[in-house]
Amino acid sequence: MNASCNDCKHLEFLGVECAWPAAACRPAAPVRRPRRIQRVFQLAAAAFLLIAVWQFGQAGYIHAKAWLAQHLISEAWSRTLAGETQVKPWAWADTWPVARLRVPGRDVERYVLAGSNGRTIAFGPGHVFGTAEPGMPGNSVIGAHRDTHFAFLQWLDDGELIELETPTGQVHSYRVTQRAVVDKHDTRVLAAHPGERRLTLVTCYPFDALRAGGPLRYVVTAERVPDRLPSPLLHAAL
Amino acid sequence: MTPAPLGLRDRIREIADLLARLLLMFVTGLGISLALGGIVLLLAGPAAAATADDDTVQQGTLLFAGADGGDPLAAPLLHTDVSIRVSGPIVRTTVVQRFRNPAGDWREGSYVFPLPETAAVQRMRIRVADRLIEGEIQERAQAQATYEKAKAEGKHTALVSQQRPNIFTTRVANIGPRDEVLVEIEYQHRLPYYVVDGVGRYSLRFPMVVAPRYIPGRPVADEESGAIGATDVVPDAAAILPPMLLPDERGPIINPVSLNVYLDAGAPIATVDSPFHRIRVDTLKPAVRRIRLSEGRTPANRDFVLNWTLASGAAPHATLFVEPAAARDHALLMLMPPAASRVARRLPREVVFIIDTSGSMEGTSIVQAREALALALERLDAEDRFNVIEFNSEPFALFDAAQPASRANLSRATHWVRHLRARGGTEMAGALALALDGGRSAERVRQVIFLTDGAVGNEAQLFGLIQQRLGDTRLFTVGIGSAPNSHFMRKAAQAGRGSFTYIGQVGEVAARMGELFARLESPVLKNLSIVWPAGAAADATPDPLPDLYLGEPVVVAAALAHGARGELQIRGDAGDIRWTSSLSLAEAHPGEGIGALWARDKIERLMDALSEGAAEDAIRPQVLALALEHRLLSRYTSFVAVDKTPARSADARLKSGAVPSALPAGWSPAGVFGELPQGATDARWHALIGLIALAAFGLARTRLRFTSLEA
Repeated sequence: MNASCNDCKHLEFLGVECAWPAAACRPAAPVRRPRRIQRVFQLAAAAFLLIAVWQFGQAGYIHAKAWLAQHLISEAWSRTLAGETQVKPWAWADTWPVARLRVPGRDVERYVLAGSNGRTIAFGPGHVFGTAEPGMPGNSVIGAHRDTHFAFLQWLDDGELIELETPTGQVHSYRVTQRAVVDKHDTRVLAAHPGERRLTLVTCYPFDALRAGGPLRYVVTAERVPDRLPSPLLHAAL
Repeated sequence: MTPAPLGLRDRIREIADLLARLLLMFVTGLGISLALGGIVLLLAGPAAAATADDDTVQQGTLLFAGADGGDPLAAPLLHTDVSIRVSGPIVRTTVVQRFRNPAGDWREGSYVFPLPETAAVQRMRIRVADRLIEGEIQERAQAQATYEKAKAEGKHTALVSQQRPNIFTTRVANIGPRDEVLVEIEYQHRLPYYVVDGVGRYSLRFPMVVAPRYIPGRPVADEESGAIGATDVVPDAAAILPPMLLPDERGPIINPVSLNVYLDAGAPIATVDSPFHRIRVDTLKPAVRRIRLSEGRTPANRDFVLNWTLASGAAPHATLFVEPAAARDHALLMLMPPAASRVARRLPREVVFIIDTSGSMEGTSIVQAREALALALERLDAEDRFNVIEFNSEPFALFDAAQPASRANLSRATHWVRHLRARGGTEMAGALALALDGGRSAERVRQVIFLTDGAVGNEAQLFGLIQQRLGDTRLFTVGIGSAPNSHFMRKAAQAGRGSFTYIGQVGEVAARMGELFARLESPVLKNLSIVWPAGAAADATPDPLPDLYLGEPVVVAAALAHGARGELQIRGDAGDIRWTSSLSLAEAHPGEGIGALWARDKIERLMDALSEGAAEDAIRPQVLALALEHRLLSRYTSFVAVDKTPARSADARLKSGAVPSALPAGWSPAGVFGELPQGATDARWHALIGLIALAAFGLARTRLRFTSLEA
């Protein structure tokens, strides 16, 4: 054992010679360091918390808007059914409900708005201007977000029924005939052929993509089911 | 001092604690955001609009190509070379679409283009480097599949399909970096032919413009009311459309067309003119001209029209072409009935004018229409009766019933017409119902003259209405504007057993309306019929033959039993005179492509039946069989060409782009063809960042705990 072992004032003392240096020889730093690191971690934690709340706020805002707006639109829709036209769901809205979309098999109900620009489809599925009015002959095209109103499209199967209620209160049924992934420039899905009654639902693809703005679109095509005729039984009863 | 060793239980508690905190944070965040969202949505009006504006970019929009400042170079470039060969009444046109890829990657290009509505498209081939690949006619869905397969395999391939009788699309896949693929489309059609004052007059129209109404995105009318809601559509369209891609504004011509016409009229030519393009005419022989565009190239924003008249006395009175084939011969007959006008008694007429004053007529169209109407009123005789109906969202008649064309009535009408303004929707059905009374009377000639640009979507419904209520009235359509919906107007005139006149510009109004009126004022040839020689088993179209007006020839295409001989007879009533003409099949000229013309007419008739409500299951097989037999493009068949050797290796990616083309009236195709709505938000992205931040927060907290424990 070295004599300088516990003598921190000794010339040869290097600080590492002994297994247990004398308390006086211990550096002061270990006592101060945790406090500084603690401050940094505290700040970082606060910053991360702020970011987290902000980001969740953003995400939540998008969903909240989508969810709350549909409730407001349902009011506007009942007024539309009562005979008013172009009922704005809230005073400063620049759109109005044009149809109600239902998927009876999946308990889905959405109010379709006029126009399909980004501002509109934040609140609900948007009917693409210039395509056939929902329920009218031709091809009615409706677009919405894949993660809010049209998230259900990913589970929709061929043959499923979609119901569309028009402002006059008529309910038309459509049956899903085709599902396809297309490029966003592939506007053939917007085309109408004479004599057909088609409903085309468009949303972004893939469904689980994190960010918006991809080049692919998921397109569900549904053909009109002829309106049910009164059954012979009913006739007999009459 | 060592940190106290943590027991398993402690550690679990630690983790559970952390998880609980994370959950709490998440719920709090969500709660705050919901409250925030609610408050913003419900209270802050202008602020919401502003936020929404920002969101537009993040969440995606229905962005039309070009509206996002898209690089015009990103789309394949296209040059179109057209060579037209006229021989007598038949035109054979070759359209070469030169798709050039300006980018450094592999691309797929698509292009929407018009062709004459009677065009029989018979051939398509692609040229890659020096190789020619002949296109095959296939059933539409099969052709689509062939194309998709070749596209996936990296082969040069092209697909040409018919969207409407006069609207076609070309798709070309696997155009190499800075490479070129040529698509050649060949079609044939018949020329409309009139004799005006003893001078034969032909008119050739090569459409270059897809008018906006044909494009997906134009209104399809309300079945019940016939309303189109142009007022709903147009204001928004203006907002979502990108600035016009007019060539003079953007510098280079975006989709140049060069055009060459070799005109062999079959008889000495008197005059040749093109009302909308400056042309250079070389006289090769008295009957042969070569016509080119003076500028060499023109933007595809206006239809090319070429009119020529034959030297006086050279008007052909009968032309019969026969094309022999293995199974059946095909014949095309054009016959000018002798002028019977001098003899027949002229009946007083009742003329009803309908003028379209919908929003789409705004601008020069309404000026043309007013001009035409004023001219028409001037030509009425004192014993004629007339009425004028204007319509936009609602029809409005000048008089409750037709009035005598007295000076007072005419001046009142002229004054009224001069003050018509274009606005509102296009509710044609109401106006037609008002004009067509369904009555019949031997003592009158009732004519409805309909001036419109035909921008409607409920065509089938209108044809039905016309047929139902026509009676002995005849409907004449006058197409107004730079690109009227001539398909609709020709069909409407056909349903109304009248004719269609096209007026392209204001300067033409007087001449065209003059011709139309000269025809309307002359007695009509009615009850036309053709007796084919026995054993010919003729399948002729049109059937029955329409009424003829002065200067109009009988045009009939027919399929005959192979080698049929003998005389065919044509009969008709001109006023009180019964007129007969006969022609020998043996004297027929050999013709080329007559079978295709016949098949095209036949398909058109079948498609008409479809729009009149025939079952598609019954029509489709017939059309399909005809189209496949005669190698014709139709609604059920497409041309597809596939190169044998793959050009693009499997690892090179293929990008798609549509060729922009110029449109009339300031419509940009990039805007009209557009993009599909974009349907995604960044909500997930925000949630992920939030989660990462939360995890980091948790980590920071844990480290904090450890350091304080150490202390």
